Amino acid sequence: MTETSRLLEQAAQITTPWGKSFTAPEANRLDVVIDANDLPAAAAALNAACWGYLAAITGLDRGADDGRIEALYHFCAGAAVAALRVTTPRAEARLPSICAAYPSASIFERELSEMLGVTFVGTPDVTPLFLPEDWSPDAYPLRKDIDLSQPNTVPVRPPPTNGENGKHFIIPIGPQHPALKEPGHFEFSVAGETVIGATVRLGYAHRGIEKAVEQRNWVQDLYLLERICGICSHIHATAYCLGVEKLAEVTVPPRAETIRTLFAELERLHSHMLWLGVAAHEAGFDTLFMAAWRDRETVMDLLEQISGNRVHYSVNVLGGVKFDLEPQHIDALLNGAAFIEERARYYFDLVNHDPLFNRRTRGVGVMTAEQAETIGVVGPTARGSGIVRDVRVEAPYLAYTRCPVEPIVETDGDLAARFSVRIRELLESCRLIRVLLETLPEGALQTRMPRRIRAGEAISRVEAPRGELFYFVKSGGGEMPERIHARTPTLCNLASALILSIGRPLADIPMILVGVDPCFSCNDRTATIHTADGSAEDETWTWERLRRYGIEATR
Amino acid sequence: MNTLNLPERWRDAVETVKRWSRINSPWALHFNSGSCNGCDIELLATLTPRFDLERLGVKLQASPRQADILICTGPVTRLARERLLRVYEQMPSPKYVIALGACAVSGGVFQGCYNVVGRVDAVLPVDVYVPGCPPRPEAIIDGMVKLLAQLQAGEKEKPG
Repeated sequence: MTETSRLLEQAAQITTPWGKSFTAPEANRLDVVIDANDLPAAAAALNAACWGYLAAITGLDRGADDGRIEALYHFCAGAAVAALRVTTPRAEARLPSICAAYPSASIFERELSEMLGVTFVGTPDVTPLFLPEDWSPDAYPLRKDIDLSQPNTVPVRPPPTNGENGKHFIIPIGPQHPALKEPGHFEFSVAGETVIGATVRLGYAHRGIEKAVEQRNWVQDLYLLERICGICSHIHATAYCLGVEKLAEVTVPPRAETIRTLFAELERLHSHMLWLGVAAHEAGFDTLFMAAWRDRETVMDLLEQISGNRVHYSVNVLGGVKFDLEPQHIDALLNGAAFIEERARYYFDLVNHDPLFNRRTRGVGVMTAEQAETIGVVGPTARGSGIVRDVRVEAPYLAYTRCPVEPIVETDGDLAARFSVRIRELLESCRLIRVLLETLPEGALQTRMPRRIRAGEAISRVEAPRGELFYFVKSGGGEMPERIHARTPTLCNLASALILSIGRPLADIPMILVGVDPCFSCNDRTATIHTADGSAEDETWTWERLRRYGIEATR
Repeated sequence: MNTLNLPERWRDAVETVKRWSRINSPWALHFNSGSCNGCDIELLATLTPRFDLERLGVKLQASPRQADILICTGPVTRLARERLLRVYEQMPSPKYVIALGACAVSGGVFQGCYNVVGRVDAVLPVDVYVPGCPPRPEAIIDGMVKLLAQLQAGEKEKPG
């Protein structure tokens, strides 16, 4: 009996008291249909048995005829995926929260209630996550019958308050940011210099891709999903392709698998170097920022040389890849890997031995392994806290089945550990690139794909640079998908940054935020400061008062 | 300037110095109004040593109050629209807008998505469009140079 089937059998045993039916849609999956009321008990049992972690909650609108909304709670352990499936009537969608057992479920429940209109009983936070404040409270974007030709707006509701009493300052950070990437809005409550509370508001970059994919065909979706993220575009496309190919029962040629894997590792190289630069910039170490980005151009050149593009390289097609490796590419890749390796050793030395830099990273934002498990972090953030969580190791896919990955783990759990993990992963990726090139199989690049994809559901998990990327693909048998759910690693990791910032001085916040690599680096220049006292009245400080406060506070 | 009651010639001289300094040190503010990060990292790559946009005096500036040029990436989402306008309004005049990338120019692949208002010039007046998904750093430099050339020629002087 393999490890995976042993795990699935164990999951079936744990959920037996509540399970109404047990099915295995794929060899590594188990679907357990349970009653909605039993959900907290079943989740608590899985948690008590330490069976895996909560990877995602997928919501499905089964349509007006069926009259139900289905929620799938995906738990992953190793390569095994167990899903608890519950349904609730569409007219009055209501599910019990599982946040008591899995605090990390909060953000998934917020997403689901916003997108599909499911009320979660007992969930701690019900504020909007993605949709604008003026979005109609009765319009749920992922329901099949929503009329999106209407703007679905209502007069603006008053902004939600975090309900904290007492006198404290709230420092807003974002969504406009000086240097980089994704806009998010954070509010940190501070007592003096110390952060005592933190909230996040996402949605500035929410474009509604999960709905848009339902209105485009399978091939068009590939290019749309690639544009979820400009940094990890290849891995999004790969996760999607793997899911669709599973449904279509198409086998990708081995050469194409290796080329996909190779690009995934190149992407990890450029993403980690990008992150290293950004993180160094947040610490005020701009020399390292510039050096890392200069060296990153080596990887960008390689990507461009093979695919013709620097960012959205579009290597994947359904059924294979578009570009072949020529002999000159292989030489260039080997030279590039050798150069990056040399530089990575230098960075490793630098971030571990520079005394000034170490004062910003050692012992800052410490997350223990237990905390990391509870919060449900993934990727390098988890591996910095001593948890071996890497899909390439746990559930190998593509060429990782032939070329095993050595998981990089550090146990300190602080920012320095996260730096070490990512820099050592640069070395591991370079090693992998060499192995992949040595074992590059000959043969075709593509397998022919059908235009319509067989009805069914597939799950694909891949390791993006930031952690596990989880895709759920459902086909109704037509030319367009019925539902595609993408759970990105940042959604899991963001909560950790908020929790870790509590009790730290405000100056550490940018470093802690960037430590989880959340596609985020914000620093809103504070125009007004709100003091929330018992009367909840907002008071705007004058420039003169702010200046006086600044002088007195630092005297 | 007028309050100082300067002679006409002096005013001209001051305007010349202002334009000269604006062209030689255009500070840019970057706003991501819903982009996929592709344009954003390419803009950043443009500022780093290989391409070094800073040799034209361009500096990325965190505060809208000190910025001359607003570089917008991505389609404008409904939530970001108000922020984008607020950032634009905080910038001192004269101010210029560069729409960077296919989404900012036209909405790109995200046209028709429910949370997307549309392209940037549906919200703000745009001076330079840089197409591409994402534009190459060379294209970004070219867009910047075109804007500076317009300033040099005095075509884009807007009322203060």
